[in-house]
Order: sequence, then structure tokens, then C-alpha cells
Amino acid sequence: MISIIEPKDEMELLPALKQWLQNDEHRLGLITSLDGKQLVTLLLDLASRQAKCWITEFAGDSYRSFTSSVPQAHWFERALFDMYGLLPKGHPRLKPALLNEAYSGIFAPLRSLAEHDEGKSYERDLSYMDVGGEGVYEVPVGPVHAGIIEPGHFRLSCMGERILNLEIRLGFLHRGVEKRLTEVPLTKTRFIAEAVASDTAAANAIASAQAIESLAGLVVPEKAVCLRALALEIERLSMHVCDLGGMAADLGCGAISAAFSRLRGSVFRLGELLSGSRFLRAYILPGGVARDADRYLAEFARTLKPLRKELNVVIDSFISDAMVLERLDGVGVLSPAFAKEFGLVGVAGRASAVSYDVRKVFQNKILPEPRIRFESAGDALSRTKIRVFEIGTSLDLIEQLLASLPSGPIAVAAPELLVPDSIAVGIVEAFRGELIHMISTDNKGRIKRYAVKDPSLNNWTGLAIAVRNNFLADFPVCNKSFGLSYSGHDL
Amino acid sequence: MILTSANLVFIVTLTIMPFLLIGVIKKIKACFQNRVGPPVFQSLYNLVKLFNKDEILSKDCSWIFRSGPLISFSGMLLLCLSVPWLPLQPPVPGCDIFLFVYVLALIRFFSIISSIDAGSPFSSFAASREATLSFLAEPAFVLALVALGISAHSSDLALIFGQPIENNRIPLSVWFFSGLALFLSGIVELSRMPIDDPSTHLELTMVHEAMVIENSGPNLALVEWSYALKLLLFFGLIAQCFVYSLSKIIALPPLLLPLSVLVVMLALGCLTAMIESFSVKLSWGKNPDFIAYAVSMSLLSSLAAFAMNGGS
Repeated sequence: MISIIEPKDEMELLPALKQWLQNDEHRLGLITSLDGKQLVTLLLDLASRQAKCWITEFAGDSYRSFTSSVPQAHWFERALFDMYGLLPKGHPRLKPALLNEAYSGIFAPLRSLAEHDEGKSYERDLSYMDVGGEGVYEVPVGPVHAGIIEPGHFRLSCMGERILNLEIRLGFLHRGVEKRLTEVPLTKTRFIAEAVASDTAAANAIASAQAIESLAGLVVPEKAVCLRALALEIERLSMHVCDLGGMAADLGCGAISAAFSRLRGSVFRLGELLSGSRFLRAYILPGGVARDADRYLAEFARTLKPLRKELNVVIDSFISDAMVLERLDGVGVLSPAFAKEFGLVGVAGRASAVSYDVRKVFQNKILPEPRIRFESAGDALSRTKIRVFEIGTSLDLIEQLLASLPSGPIAVAAPELLVPDSIAVGIVEAFRGELIHMISTDNKGRIKRYAVKDPSLNNWTGLAIAVRNNFLADFPVCNKSFGLSYSGHDL
Repeated sequence: MILTSANLVFIVTLTIMPFLLIGVIKKIKACFQNRVGPPVFQSLYNLVKLFNKDEILSKDCSWIFRSGPLISFSGMLLLCLSVPWLPLQPPVPGCDIFLFVYVLALIRFFSIISSIDAGSPFSSFAASREATLSFLAEPAFVLALVALGISAHSSDLALIFGQPIENNRIPLSVWFFSGLALFLSGIVELSRMPIDDPSTHLELTMVHEAMVIENSGPNLALVEWSYALKLLLFFGLIAQCFVYSLSKIIALPPLLLPLSVLVVMLALGCLTAMIESFSVKLSWGKNPDFIAYAVSMSLLSSLAAFAMNGGS
């Protein structure tokens, strides 16, 4: 959708933002900049289903930090410092978020070349929080891990078997995605958008397509809207099954984990029948979808039918096991107050009483609405229960979409020109939560700035808080219950 | 040490059985996960591979780190040759309960300090966990053996285990409860589920695997080999407890005794694999509760030993 643009004075910004967030129907989408000379604050109004951008011009390369009053601005300000070298004055704890030790202080990927040539260097504080006291020791974990997962460094300060503090350092996967997205021709954008986080390929492609379509004034055919929703739910189903299997493996239930892996294969099969790709790659494009699945629908229904029954058997034997319940209950608690303050989204948010789901607010009106459930305990068990529930709703939605699939074209011609001097956003409920792609165009209609906000950016802080005072040996369970993305965060 | 037929059986099974046990456990776990699993003797092939590899040493570690695995291995080999883990007299006679317990403690002491010596935070906290767990589980293990000793009127392991059935004076209840106590404390000592997950990749949850995380090459081979011998030793003692309990109920022909102990050892391997496939690893805070079961079994066994002894 095209966002409303409002200029906002630097002095007014913080009080206005605080007031905006007092309303439960309002959310902070993201904070970024277009070219390092202004702040763009994207705000979402859930009641009127609108997005608006406050543009705040400021002089020099520093601005007043929000973090102390608006904690969810914390990671956005860190990212701004990394990307543009913009210094938030009065930030309580400014650390790199997207870049690691390997990058020199001159490197700020989104600064203009002219500014780069001035050779301004930024002091990056790479120290870790020093937790004092007798018997406190540090355990460094990562960035290279024993399992096949992405790189991230966790610095755990422990007292005996208890975790006192966790500091998360990411940025080992910085690929220059946002910069690259402004350089490639419009026809290639979708491939890069998908690769932001490949396990969220469909959601990223949809968000990217939505933003481009709003800027081109395209109306997507109804059938394509439904096929996209189908792809999104297949992705959610696939990843929730994968995350449950990962949780089972971490608890040591090898047999159940193996059963989940097998069933995930069946979900991949659904994706392949729909899109021709097991990971739903290269399927969604601005204007519609790439292939009509009509002749595979019979086979699709045949694969879907036994899946729910088999999934129920495995899920029941996992989630009703007394030992599993005991193991997850009360582990990694994130209180609803913290979840609200840090703006948590998705599964982790809904497990801590944040009832926000993009599908309820921003999705196309022709699509069936999902049932939403939220818990308030905020522990690993609640997050697992929410995942189990969402597997059910995804299966329901897939069945509903399949039963009422409209006929007609699957795509309209791809856009060539975009509206100049505008900002558009695509918002999708990816399996991890609210995913935002924001595109701003220059006066010739070219993409000037492409910003991506992965749900993980909101939720990593939640993990750091949730593990406090838990057993060191429970850290993997907490981490898995959040199930966050490294590549989606690192861009 | 004289080469009798009993000794020959000991030595042949000593070379095959540890790897067979590990292989059987892995194979059954794989079956429950719809996998083919590694070949049964894969752990033996791994040893050969590891012995041919180079070793990487931390520049901070001392001779303790190098010699720890060697001490464990030689200690385990000594115990395997002097403890009757088959119902036959062992090649090296005269192993006392307390010698057995203290050699195990010595091995543990050296494996703990050698893992701390490596200086990695993982191996250090794992060493602390190992110390805590063994400190909790040791009473169960010692009491179970002492109960058997009281009933047999001797602390010589060769007079408790490895006796012909007709000489066996230990009552059924003592055999059975000691067997259970040894099995439960064996799960702790051998770092099996639900206390420790030997197949996990998560360093932060490990005990045994994280302790040896810095070992590589021949050093690691010795660690794995001594673990295999420890498995054999424990399963051998536990299997004898159950076979002797069984012999109190049904008459077993004396010749069948060694064979049935081997079968029970494999059955214990199956049981371990089942537990590992279907149970959930306990939270660290719940481990003492689990060990309490082992301790109560050994207390029951001691009570039975005293009661029966007073009666006779």
C-alpha cells in the first residue's frame, strides 16, 4: 500500500512517537533513513488499515536517540548506525547490529559514494557487557555452531548453571541486500527479495510484489491473490513443522523429530505441486504468480488429505507427552509487558499476549480470515502451543482456499514504471511474524531506497530477555522456541 | 595370569562386546528414526580412523590433558581384566569392591582435571557438571555393591559375581534391587538419556561430550575406547545381577550362564536405545530427582541385605 508521508520536526518526533504507541491499535513498523539525511519512521494504524511515514530532516550525522523512551527503537538505531554511520545521541548501549569485527570503521554500506570518499570513520564499540561478581563466568557460543544453522554469536554470562545475561551479536551474514535491491532492474528484484531469508522466500516475494504493485498501480487478479496466499500458508506449515521437529530434536526425542522431518517432506511436495519449487522460489512476481497450478490440483488434494491425519498423530504424541510439557513449562518466560514494550511479533508475540497478526489487518479482503489464538504465559510451551495451533489454521486455510479458488488470469503484465517520489510498503504475516518491505522512489520513478524489516529484528531482543535466570542447558530450548532468522536480520 | 578357557572367553568378548553394544544401541535408535543407521561396528572403524589422525592441542594445555585419556583407558582396561563382568573368574584375581570404586573415582578425577586443563569454557562447565552428577550418583552405585557384599560375606568382587549358581547365597531381592540401582546409576555414569543426550549437537546441554570437546585424534580414540569399556563393565555387572535374580526363579543350566549374561547385556543395550528414542532429556534441575530413584533402589537393596543376613 502507498504510505502517507508527513514531515515531522526533530523536536516533535519523540513525543509524537510515544503518544502514537500509547494506542493499542497503533504500531511502529520500522525506523530507517532514505539517504542518511533524514529519519523515516513507518507507523501502522491497525484500525484504519493505513501506513504513514514521518520524515524528519536533521542536520549533520547525529540525531536524538529514542531508545531510552521507546525500547523497540533499539535495534533500528543500531542498524542505522551500521548502515549510514548515523549516531543516535544518548543511546544507552550502541553496538553494531548488522556488521561485525571484520568490517572497518569507514564501511557504512548505504552511505553515498561521495560521503564514503570523505573517509569519515566511525568508532564501533565491539566490547561485551562485563557482568561482575565472584564466580561469574562467560561462555562464548558461535558464530560457528555444531549444527547446520546460520552464524550468530551468543555471549552468555553465567553464575553456576544459571544465565545472568545474554548478549547477541549478529551481522556475520551481511550481504548488502538492501543496496543491491536498488541497483538491479525491476524484473530481477524478486529474486533478490526472496533471498533475504530463503526459508521465508514466499513471504518476502509477496511483500516485495505488494510494494511494487502499489507503486505501479497494478491490481492483481483474484486468482493470483489466492495462489499467493496458498504459497504463504504452505510456507508457514512447512516451517512450523520444521521448528516443532527441531524442538523435538533439542529435547532428545529423536523418533518424533524424524517423523516431523518426513512430514515436512510432504509439505514440500505441496509447495512443488503449487509452484514447481519445493521452497516456493521464483513463483511470486509483481503482477501475479508465475505458473498456473490447475492441472496439479487433484494431486495436491491427494497429498493434502492424509497429511492432516498424520500430522495430528505426531503432534499429539509430542505435545501431550508429560515429560515434554514439564520440560517446556516455565522455560524462557517473556512477560507480556516486555513483549509489548519491545514490539514483539509473530509466534513469540502471540505467546506473550500480543494478539497482532498481519493477516487480520492488512491482507486482501477476498482471502479467508484465519483464527487467531494467543497465550499469556510467554514461555517455551506457549510458543510451541501457538505453533501447533497455527499448523491447524494453515491446513484449514489451505483447504478453504483450494475449495474456493477463483478462475481467471494468474498475472497481469509486469510494471515498468513506478510512481515517482512515493513510499510504498508491503506487509505480510510470514511464519515468524510481521514482515515489511518498504520501497521509496526518486523523482524519475526509480527505486531509491529498499528497506526490509524481518520479524526477527523485533524478536531477537525478546530472546535475550527470555533466557535470563534460566539454566544454561535450557538455552537451546529457548532459542529454538523463538526460531529466529539470522540472514533475515543481517541483510 | 594364566590362559584358561575362561580367560580366553573374557579376552575375546572384551575385544568385540563394547563395540557391539554401542553399535546395537545406535542401530536400534536409527530404526526408530526410520534410518538405516551406521554399521554395527562403526565405532571400531572410527577408532582405527582416529588413531591414524593427527592431534590438535590447545597451546594452553599441559601434560595433564595429554595423559588424562591414557589414564582413563589403562584404568578401564585394568578393571575389565579384574572384575568378573561375565559370570566367570576374571584373568586378574582379587579385585575388591573398594578398589573398583576408587579406580573409577581416580579415572573420573583425571578426566575432570584434564578437561579443565584444556581451558575451553565448554569442557570446564561440563567438568563441573560431571563432578556434580557423579557426586550425587556415587552413593547409589557404592551402596548397591556393598549390599551385595554384605549378603556374600565378602568384599571381593570375584566372590560376589562370577560364582557358580549353586554357591550363590545372595537372595533374589538383593540381586534385583542392586541390579536396578546399578542400571539407574549406570545411566548417569555412562551419560545416557535422560540425564545426558549422547547424540545431541548442542554443546550447552552436554555433559560427557562437552568434557571431551577439545580431544582429537588418538587422544579422542582413547577417550572413546575407555567409554566403550566402561559401558561393557557396567552392563556386565547389571546383566549379572539380573541373570542371578532370574536363576533364583527358574533353574538355568550352568553352561548357559555366560551366554545368558551376554544376551541380557544386549537386551540392556536395546532398553537403553528405547529410552533414548522415547524419553525427553531432563532439565538440569530435575537430574537429582532421577538420581534419587537410583539411591532409593540401593537403599532397598541394603535393607534387604541386612534383613536377610540377620535371618540366616
